[in-house]
Amino acid sequence: MNRKKTYWIVLGLFTLFFLISSNSALAAKKVIHVWHTETNPLSREAIANIVARFEAQHPDIKVEAEALAWGDLEGKIMAALASGSPPELSHGQPITCAALQAKGLLMPLDEVVKDIGEENIWDQIKKVGKYGDHYYGLVHAAGTSLLIYRKDLANKKGLKGPKTWDDLLLLAKELTMDTDGDGKTDIYGLTIPGDNLFINILMGELTKANGGILFDEKNRPHFTDKTMIETLNFLNELTKYMPPGWEGHGYRETFANMYGQKAAMMYQGYGRGASLIEQYAPKNMLSTDYFDVWIKPRGPSGDRPAAQVDEEPWMMFKGCKYPKEAIEFLKFFYEDENYLEYIQTVPIHFFPITKSLSKSKPYQDTPMIKKWKGWLDVQEYYLDNDLVKPTLVIDWEDMAGKPYLMEILGSGILKDMVMEVTKEGVSPEKAAAKAQKRAEELIKDKGYAKW
Amino acid sequence: MRLSPQKAGFVLIVPSVFLVCSLLVYPVLYGVWLSFFKKHSFFPDQRFVGLANYVYVMKDPEFWMSVWYGTVYSVSTIVLQIVIGVIAALIVNEAFRGRNFVRGVILFPYMIPTVVAIILWKWLLNNQFGLVNYLLLALGIVQDPVSWMGKDHIMTSLILISVWEFFPFVLLSVLARMQSIPPVLYEAAKVDGAGVFRRFFHVTLPQLRNVLFVVILLRSIWMFTKFDTVWLLTQGGGAEKYIRTLPVYAYMRTFMYYQAGLGSTLAVLMFVILIVSTAIYFKMFRREGEI
Repeated sequence: MNRKKTYWIVLGLFTLFFLISSNSALAAKKVIHVWHTETNPLSREAIANIVARFEAQHPDIKVEAEALAWGDLEGKIMAALASGSPPELSHGQPITCAALQAKGLLMPLDEVVKDIGEENIWDQIKKVGKYGDHYYGLVHAAGTSLLIYRKDLANKKGLKGPKTWDDLLLLAKELTMDTDGDGKTDIYGLTIPGDNLFINILMGELTKANGGILFDEKNRPHFTDKTMIETLNFLNELTKYMPPGWEGHGYRETFANMYGQKAAMMYQGYGRGASLIEQYAPKNMLSTDYFDVWIKPRGPSGDRPAAQVDEEPWMMFKGCKYPKEAIEFLKFFYEDENYLEYIQTVPIHFFPITKSLSKSKPYQDTPMIKKWKGWLDVQEYYLDNDLVKPTLVIDWEDMAGKPYLMEILGSGILKDMVMEVTKEGVSPEKAAAKAQKRAEELIKDKGYAKW
Repeated sequence: MRLSPQKAGFVLIVPSVFLVCSLLVYPVLYGVWLSFFKKHSFFPDQRFVGLANYVYVMKDPEFWMSVWYGTVYSVSTIVLQIVIGVIAALIVNEAFRGRNFVRGVILFPYMIPTVVAIILWKWLLNNQFGLVNYLLLALGIVQDPVSWMGKDHIMTSLILISVWEFFPFVLLSVLARMQSIPPVLYEAAKVDGAGVFRRFFHVTLPQLRNVLFVVILLRSIWMFTKFDTVWLLTQGGGAEKYIRTLPVYAYMRTFMYYQAGLGSTLAVLMFVILIVSTAIYFKMFRREGEI
């Protein structure tokens, strides 16, 4: 045998040995798959750190954490469930959790709740994932929608926070300004994102704030109710004070309207935006003296304000390979030291689900939290007074009783209705009747119609 | 044992037949079969409903709107791609300094991934800090920034982006054919006193007839079924309702309404529309023996 041949045989054997040994090393480990929606680099890094510490404590477990965009998540979860290979854990919309729980596809997370201490979790948070006596979802962090405004401009004009929708319209009018006197608007009164998710969030909030409902106990849509017509009329009026092309703005562009000084108020803001302001607003404006939050107003038929809460729960899927190990990972995730690292990556948007952490000194001493405390106070006010609900949820009973909300959201029926009224000049009554018909057909098709 | 040449031939084509059946015939037939069912996209609940999905779709205004948007989009982009592609091919067919570099650069839009192209264009067309609006305002062409992703302009934006992305395909095909046109034809035309335009209309264009026939056919199919460019343009902002073409609507029915039966019905109808259009196209423009 010549030397060259020997060399190749040795190299081949070595490669084979390496592949077999690395595979068997991996095969010996229990691999748990974790999908989450925090794609920003800081949160990903925090999760990677938590995973590394967990793996060091559990050498027989490997955690494959994957950050997915919001828009991709639901489809990916469904496809994974259909193919019989779901991940152990995933984030998801509360209404996705409700839909999957109704189909019996989730496993309880009671052990994690017990480990955290049920009393240690905010009551509002518990309502998101609790069905009957079991927790099928556990929120990773909560952040409510916020009415952000330019405090400096409002103070200059002596404007106070709105109590009603009429007040908000007046404020929007007052804050729509031609600052350089060239006859063109330089700052618009209000900005909202025009994409489907945020319009659905908005419609849920406004319906609630106007004392209305989206669906009754027989699952029939209530889009033609007086409350909805009032809501559509209000939105139509409001768009007069919004930047042209708002319907094409995504969330980040809407925030760019705020920190770029093109808009004076943002109805669908979130605490996450404080980081955007810190990054992009002029250096002299990085404080609550310039960007503060007001409590949202109520509609003419409503008696309380309402906002949406972004609180995606962790879910564990039936049919996953390592549920016990996944539970261990979640317990570890919520341990104060680990959870704090995660929360601090988006401090104003990630409100901790545990009372102990939110009151702890290390959390309270976080510089961003000190600086933007006013934003957190409003969120805490909403949470404490049960003024916030997940997307399209009007009452907590909707979570278990209306498992079709996910399809309603995806269908864009509500967005189309809003576009028809605000952009196409269709009367609210006509647009609402069309949306009502489409939603009725969808709910009938899904087999939930009881009327 | 020796197989007869006939049997050996059959045995040899078995793998190909298997591949064609499993990768082409089966998915198409499954799609057609699914269109007769009311079926959840991911769960096994399904019920035979006969032609109910087709009846529903025929009465669905959203379907007709998506056909309209799809037609506007595909016809506009095809016409512009052909016109720009042929003009560009005429230019780069001429001899000039740096021609090879220009030929390379001009193919760039067709080579980059769609997702990159869309991110780039969304940034350029941003109505507050986009370069396009900045230039239009600076040159005094518009008085106020144009909302390129808003209701009134999103279809225009989509068409412009698609033309930019796909005209190099037309250019490439036409240029390849142009390079094989015998120079003697142009010389003869010149001798007969034909100017630039007459040479183009009486020599170049007739020579391009066959390649244009195929290019228009392919691009029509691809643009009518185009999904990624349209879908990506509306992700994270963009007035989606006003560019909801048929492929997007079929996707929404399948993956957002979770109605796989209706989604398949829309896909089958899209297939039928294309087959019928192609048949009409062949009937109108095909010359026996030329193609």
